[in-house]
Amino acid sequence: MSGPGRYEPRSMLGKVVHEFEETAIAVMLGAMTILTFVNVIMRYVFNSMVIWGLEVVLILFSWLVLFGIAYAFKVTANLGVDAIISVVSPRARYVLALLSAACCIVYALLIAKGAWDYWAPFAGLQQTTGHWFPTGFDPNTRDRAFFETDQVPMLEWLRWLEDAINQGESYSKMPRMVPYLILPVAAALMLFRIIQVTIRIVKGEQHSMIVSHEVEDALDEIAKTRRGQE
Amino acid sequence: MDVFILFAMVIGLMLIGVPIAVSLGLSSILFMLALSDTSLAAVAASLYNGMAGHYTLLAIPFFVLASSFMSTGGVARRIIRFSIALVGHLPGGLAIAGVFACMMFAALSGSSPATVVAIGTIVIAGMRQVGYTRDFAAGVIAVAGTLGILIPPSIVMVVYASATDVSVGRMFLAGVIPGLLAGFMLMLTIYIMARVKNLPKGDWLGWGEVWSSGRDAGWGLMLIVIILGGIYGGIFTPTEAAAVAAVYAFLIACFVYRDMGPLARPEGERNLTLLDRPIALVTAFFHRDIRNTLFEAGKLTVTLMFIIANALILKHVLTDEQIPQQIAGAMLAAGFGPIMFLVIVNVILLIGGQFMEPSGLIVIVAPLVFPIAMELGIDPIHLGIIMVVNMEIGMITPPVGLNLFVTSGVAGMPMMRVVRAALPFLAVLFVFLILITYVPIISTWLPTLMMGPEILVR
Repeated sequence: MSGPGRYEPRSMLGKVVHEFEETAIAVMLGAMTILTFVNVIMRYVFNSMVIWGLEVVLILFSWLVLFGIAYAFKVTANLGVDAIISVVSPRARYVLALLSAACCIVYALLIAKGAWDYWAPFAGLQQTTGHWFPTGFDPNTRDRAFFETDQVPMLEWLRWLEDAINQGESYSKMPRMVPYLILPVAAALMLFRIIQVTIRIVKGEQHSMIVSHEVEDALDEIAKTRRGQE
Repeated sequence: MDVFILFAMVIGLMLIGVPIAVSLGLSSILFMLALSDTSLAAVAASLYNGMAGHYTLLAIPFFVLASSFMSTGGVARRIIRFSIALVGHLPGGLAIAGVFACMMFAALSGSSPATVVAIGTIVIAGMRQVGYTRDFAAGVIAVAGTLGILIPPSIVMVVYASATDVSVGRMFLAGVIPGLLAGFMLMLTIYIMARVKNLPKGDWLGWGEVWSSGRDAGWGLMLIVIILGGIYGGIFTPTEAAAVAAVYAFLIACFVYRDMGPLARPEGERNLTLLDRPIALVTAFFHRDIRNTLFEAGKLTVTLMFIIANALILKHVLTDEQIPQQIAGAMLAAGFGPIMFLVIVNVILLIGGQFMEPSGLIVIVAPLVFPIAMELGIDPIHLGIIMVVNMEIGMITPPVGLNLFVTSGVAGMPMMRVVRAALPFLAVLFVFLILITYVPIISTWLPTLMMGPEILVR
């Protein structure tokens, strides 16, 4: 099909990053599951609960997905419709692939501006001005660095944040800038990966940005074994 | 007019090969920025809250994880063995057992293509060995595989419940009878075809085989009991049930079936027991197999939730612009009744279901049709089941149904042959769709019985 086959990192650094990304995804999902499970057990067996459990699980859920988006672009795991691009000529497919890469870049740029604008006030930084494009920093941004999460306890090693952004006042709960930090990070990673994929498309190493269904890998395996038998 | 431009843009982008998630998100963002003074910061916030603000959707990663632990070849083989022991001796026995296995597997995994891959790889080869044609085998599996999204627990139902604020528990219960009915109709069709065409039948292996294969498969099938029992017994919320199911599936895969993890041994060797290696209790958590399963489930969660989160942005645009209300007004003014409305919903979903991942489609279509259905007095649970059945059929409707494509890969035959092979069973599902659409009690009876009448808030 239009997929590039399984993604294989080439350089040493590529391998390390790949391993880190996959492990991070696995660990976040594992932690979410265990936390939720433990809270069920606590409720029935000890008649108590980890009070920050649910909030942390939901934060991890956001982190898992937002962090994973860049990975999904890297390995071409995003679902799409290949009804048209699989029947047109290679030349037309090349043009369409470039066009869709351009759309993804525009999307990532818009999300990146939005992510910064949302996160910045919580970190005591300035939003950008402009409706569509960042046209400069807004000195009148309302500082929201004092906003805290509902239940998540403050971590001791993050106390330096109090002097840095909260005018030295102590946080009794984790400030919101910490969980929201994933937004600008994920947007930057996504933009980076999309640009990498675009370069691969230009060079002709890859033909599209999508797979048509979630079991593409499994089908490739089956086709491989069948060829082996014949 | 604006709404047509919006939807034309979404569909246009999808067709040129832009990922579904980006098509939805980019169109909505451009539309929002052009027509209102909503800021991009609000878009980013809703992307974040797509996950962190939806407790119901949190069930999705856990269900995906539970089914990843259960989607190994070993579990599929056990279920197939149990099905053959039960119904293999009937005329067309292996085909009926294939349908039965798909139904049981559907209850462990919420996904249709995954069901086709897991059951199809084993059953299609098995059916050819005992003398069925490859076409017949592929047709049966392609269609029976679609039951994955109808039989609870189902990811698509979680998404519908979250998009329309109906109860997940009710949706799951509502899927039980239609799921069994659809499976039964398919089995009956095969039975009749088998009688007419004189298809091969297997031998009755005795109650001993039923008992031992049932006990072996039972460990996996207990998962459904935990989920449904837990939810309806009031023990857990659906999200917690999913997390408990994931932990249970991990324990079963690692320590009972030992298909993966530190106690698994290569094919042919006897697996270790916990007594051989008690340290496995600790190492299981760090084993490479477990990390890989967690990662695969995480990756699938990412791709599904990326679509859903962007569809939620589109949903915001639609509600902000009061688009569903406008359409509802136009339809009521034109004198469309509930029946005509349901036909239109059927058509939209049949077309959409061919191109799109079902959960993404439902997040877009549900907020659009739900308010209209409420105006027309259609039951929200009934509407949900209609939508799910429609998408099942969309998956096997030519030219581009997803399940047809996956089956053609699994069976190693051209797409057009799978289409032709699936046609008779597709006809059965169409009859089933009409039945479901116009006989609401099939869907609503069980949830009303178990959970009391629904309270509709308008």
